[in-house]
Amino acid sequence: MTPVAIEKYLHTERLPHIWCPGCGIGTVTGAFLRAALDLGLERDKTVVVGGIGCSSRAVGYLDFGTVHAIHGRALAFATGIKMARPDFTVIVLTGDGDGAAIGGNHLIHACRRNIDVTTILFNNQIYGMTGGQMSPLMDEGDRGSTAPFGHTEPAFDLCRLTEAAGASYVARGTTYGIRELERLIRDGIRHPGFAFIEAVTHCPTEYGKRNAPKGAIAMLEDQKARAISIKKAAGLTPEERKDRIVTGVFHRDNTAAEFCAGYYAMLDRVRVHVDG
Amino acid sequence: MMELWHTHLLREKIDQDSLLVQGNRACALGALDAGVRFFAGYPITPSSEIMETMARELPLAGGVFLQMEDEIASICACIGASLTGGVGMTATSGPGFSLMQEAIGYAIMAEAPVVIVDVMRMGPSTGRPTTPSQGDVMQARWGTHGDHPAIVLAASNVADMYRLTIAAVRFAQRFRTPVTLLSDEVVGHMRESFSPELAGRYRLSSGDFDFNESYVHPELVREVHPPHELGTLRHPHITGLIHDETGFPTNDPKKSEKFLRELHDKVIHHRDELCLYDMKNEGRGRVCIVAYGSCARSARAALHLAEAQGMPVEVLHLYTLFPMPVELIQEVARRVEFMLIPELNLGQYAREVRKMAENWTTVVSMGKIDGTLITPQELIDRVAELVGKYESV
Repeated sequence: MTPVAIEKYLHTERLPHIWCPGCGIGTVTGAFLRAALDLGLERDKTVVVGGIGCSSRAVGYLDFGTVHAIHGRALAFATGIKMARPDFTVIVLTGDGDGAAIGGNHLIHACRRNIDVTTILFNNQIYGMTGGQMSPLMDEGDRGSTAPFGHTEPAFDLCRLTEAAGASYVARGTTYGIRELERLIRDGIRHPGFAFIEAVTHCPTEYGKRNAPKGAIAMLEDQKARAISIKKAAGLTPEERKDRIVTGVFHRDNTAAEFCAGYYAMLDRVRVHVDG
Repeated sequence: MMELWHTHLLREKIDQDSLLVQGNRACALGALDAGVRFFAGYPITPSSEIMETMARELPLAGGVFLQMEDEIASICACIGASLTGGVGMTATSGPGFSLMQEAIGYAIMAEAPVVIVDVMRMGPSTGRPTTPSQGDVMQARWGTHGDHPAIVLAASNVADMYRLTIAAVRFAQRFRTPVTLLSDEVVGHMRESFSPELAGRYRLSSGDFDFNESYVHPELVREVHPPHELGTLRHPHITGLIHDETGFPTNDPKKSEKFLRELHDKVIHHRDELCLYDMKNEGRGRVCIVAYGSCARSARAALHLAEAQGMPVEVLHLYTLFPMPVELIQEVARRVEFMLIPELNLGQYAREVRKMAENWTTVVSMGKIDGTLITPQELIDRVAELVGKYESV
């Protein structure tokens, strides 16, 4: 897994990328590419769809079939692509604003359908590209450009949300725990159904400048300190668990009915052969 | 040529040349015959019968039907499907059409062939959902932001719903851009004697659209950028950002303008092909009634009344609203004293016609927004006011 190996999935002529120094998006994208390499994804049979925002911009550097969609709608595009071409491996790269705010409705319905699409949601808790506005994933009390006195809303727990909505694979990893994240993504792509992977990452530019800790390294160390496996977290009290980032596979059901396969099975039943 | 899907559908049900078909159902049959195999929609009055028909017939034809979580998801799924080849289609009414606008702009930028049917109802907002209107004409032209071309067709009867859906699919494929077919509650819900085979034999006086021609995978117009289809060996990048011929975004001023102008040119250069119309009583009127959709039905009936009364009326029935048939409108404007434009809105299209015709003629807008149709007699009365009394009246 040398850096050179993943170059086959990159439009290297499009580099350098637009992300700020210290940003975690490139790290998560790298984990995705190593997972793709491990799985041997074919470039012309794999479609990666992004929405709008810093993380969705990753699709502009990837040498798969790539769709840079409109804000919040990556999963709706992906649903059309997957249903039209069930043979494609379809992956959505989205952010916390794109996927959980403007695109929240599409997220829960994609989960409910359990369509065979893998969604990697880069959660940096903030709208980076537009200048640091609060997102529905921002921690209560933290500051953004539209929360100058501290965020007064609670954040989503996206893993609980997507599991409840019907996703058949739900996992969370961190940028610091990049090997674990890579494995979670790989297993998610392999999973036959809707796979949701929350990649907790950091935005030193917009989040770090208003909140502690500041700077990419301090933010990564904070991730390391707060991250805890599901198994270990089970032994903690709710109070002890409050500020922890619980990582691992929360839910996996390989037997859940998948939407695309179910639809095409129905077609086989009802389809009329005009020539017959 | 592929076997027409309707032939199969109707074979068992009828033994005669025609049957009563609802406008919305004829639209769905047209889509199936045009080779549409992907439909995504969200229920809304008065368009729902289109998606209900598709829900039943598309699986039989081996296609994909999706009821999505909203209209935004519907059009986005259509675009996604069209990026893999083929044409995605959706149907809605004013409120849903508003929700789709951002994505329609994306389809223009990404050159994704999609067809949107808007069965218009009274607005704004929830308005009067079961009442006809033509209030979405300018939304169809300018609903999405930014400078962009638009192809907008308008259906006036059940046969139109069938054949203009076929035209919309063909145009979407040839021009690789979204095409909007406007209908309204009356046209969508009316039932008329109709046979798909007969609809194919309708001729338009513009004479350029042969509904019997093979319309599956028609040739692209030359100005279209090479299609970026997913699943090809080129594994392309598709974006709503301004991009160059590689498909990747650019901030270069020259390339940006070139790209946007090319999007316009591919439509404007082919007005002759796109502008479908029917001219009645050509050159014999002092008044030309310019009409589309359900108002064109009244205009055609008014023509009969006018002829019986010796009134000098001609009718220009437009099936294509945008791009506008500029030369044709100006030609008519040069020879008539009045252009009378009945619409179920406050003169949205009349304003556009006036811009290109007012140097030569008086453009009279006849807008109605009480939810009732404009009757042939109302049109005749207005014509009489304009040209004065005739001996036979």
